Amino acid sequence: MLTEEIELPETKACIQCAALLNTGSKFCNSCGAKQSTSEVKVADQWNLLKQAAVFYGLYLLLCCLSKFTDAFQEMAWYLVLEVAGILLTIVFFAINWSENKALLKWPGFSLQKLSAYCGIAMAGAFLVHYSVNWLNVTIFSQEEHLFNASRDNYYAMFLLVFFTAVTPALFEELGFRGYLLQSLLKVSDTNQAVYISAFLFAIIHLSFISLFWLIPFALFIGYVRVRENTLWYGIFFHFCFNLTACLFELLQQPR
Amino acid sequence: MDDSLTISPPKERCASCFTEIVTDDVFCTNCGYPLKGTEDEQRKFIGENEVTGIYYKEYYDKVRKAGNSLYYLAGFALLGAIISFFMKQDDPNVLAYTLPSLILAVLFLVLGGYSRKKPLACIVSGLVLYLIVQILLIIDNPVNIASGIIIKIVIIGYLINGIKSALELEKFKKEHNLKD
Repeated sequence: MLTEEIELPETKACIQCAALLNTGSKFCNSCGAKQSTSEVKVADQWNLLKQAAVFYGLYLLLCCLSKFTDAFQEMAWYLVLEVAGILLTIVFFAINWSENKALLKWPGFSLQKLSAYCGIAMAGAFLVHYSVNWLNVTIFSQEEHLFNASRDNYYAMFLLVFFTAVTPALFEELGFRGYLLQSLLKVSDTNQAVYISAFLFAIIHLSFISLFWLIPFALFIGYVRVRENTLWYGIFFHFCFNLTACLFELLQQPR
Repeated sequence: MDDSLTISPPKERCASCFTEIVTDDVFCTNCGYPLKGTEDEQRKFIGENEVTGIYYKEYYDKVRKAGNSLYYLAGFALLGAIISFFMKQDDPNVLAYTLPSLILAVLFLVLGGYSRKKPLACIVSGLVLYLIVQILLIIDNPVNIASGIIIKIVIIGYLINGIKSALELEKFKKEHNLKD
């Protein structure tokens, strides 16, 4: 009877002879044609990796300049470096704009999720702040600060908050969870891609001791980005984390 | 002549990849083996598969070599940690000197250990970590660029070859339905 339709296992048509095949089949059982349609070539993947290496190399150069050269400690030069980093990120994000622009959308926006992620970020920042202090005091016998804050004037404080919370959150996410992770997802499976992007993000901070919290931090944002398919939760997470850490520094400094 | 090639393939399993098959299938749905093909066609298919098997072994070897260089780097970092420990033994900040090398040794050891399972992730991470350490050493003292330059180039070469082979290996595994 027509009403009693039996559910067949899911099928697809062979790309060559149109015979019905199980969805999982890799070859047609009647003509032998290979069924994978979108095959990424290793040469293309290799090129993607080389492109990512150029991005990472330039980014690393900027990080080293701002950390190790005296000339760039001044405010004006520091700003030049910041702007260079921002431009670099935007250029690479725009190289693959047609694909990356989807990441800037926010499908299924949920205020609960957003506040949950922000809450986790703040709790994480507390935890990191105290464990870093403990580590530095016990191992290095000195107090070191995540950010060198100055409370000289409100202008400087405003700039500090801006350059430790707003720009890194936005542009590190665009660069590492946006451009880099998107390229790596085409090269490897999800787990490896998230892991590589997290590790690269963690070691570019050039501090071996900080790896213990930077790697979990970056892994978390990476998985959130893959799961939610948007950069925005990561950006807010990153912002809340940096802001909390930055406020800690400001509050702890003697007036 | 090899017996396994002359007899017709068993009814239930493909003779090439041993996936279960349906009697009516003309080709194996997993590997494309011509189940109902002539002896020549079947032999040709197996021969071609053997050739890809040789490539597979080559890629696997290169990934293994890259993994071994990660172990070598771990050993080297550990040695550095031990030497600095004995040199600064009396310094109250001895941990501050040895800990970075120790962390480095552990990182390279973990990356080397997982390089068989997750080759791409581990070798890429290992290479970038190694390069950054070298850059930091050069910033610290530019003369460092020359010390042991040949071995540095060899290690970087092994790691870059490893990355390329890891890509090939993963593609190969995906195509042939292999798991690790």
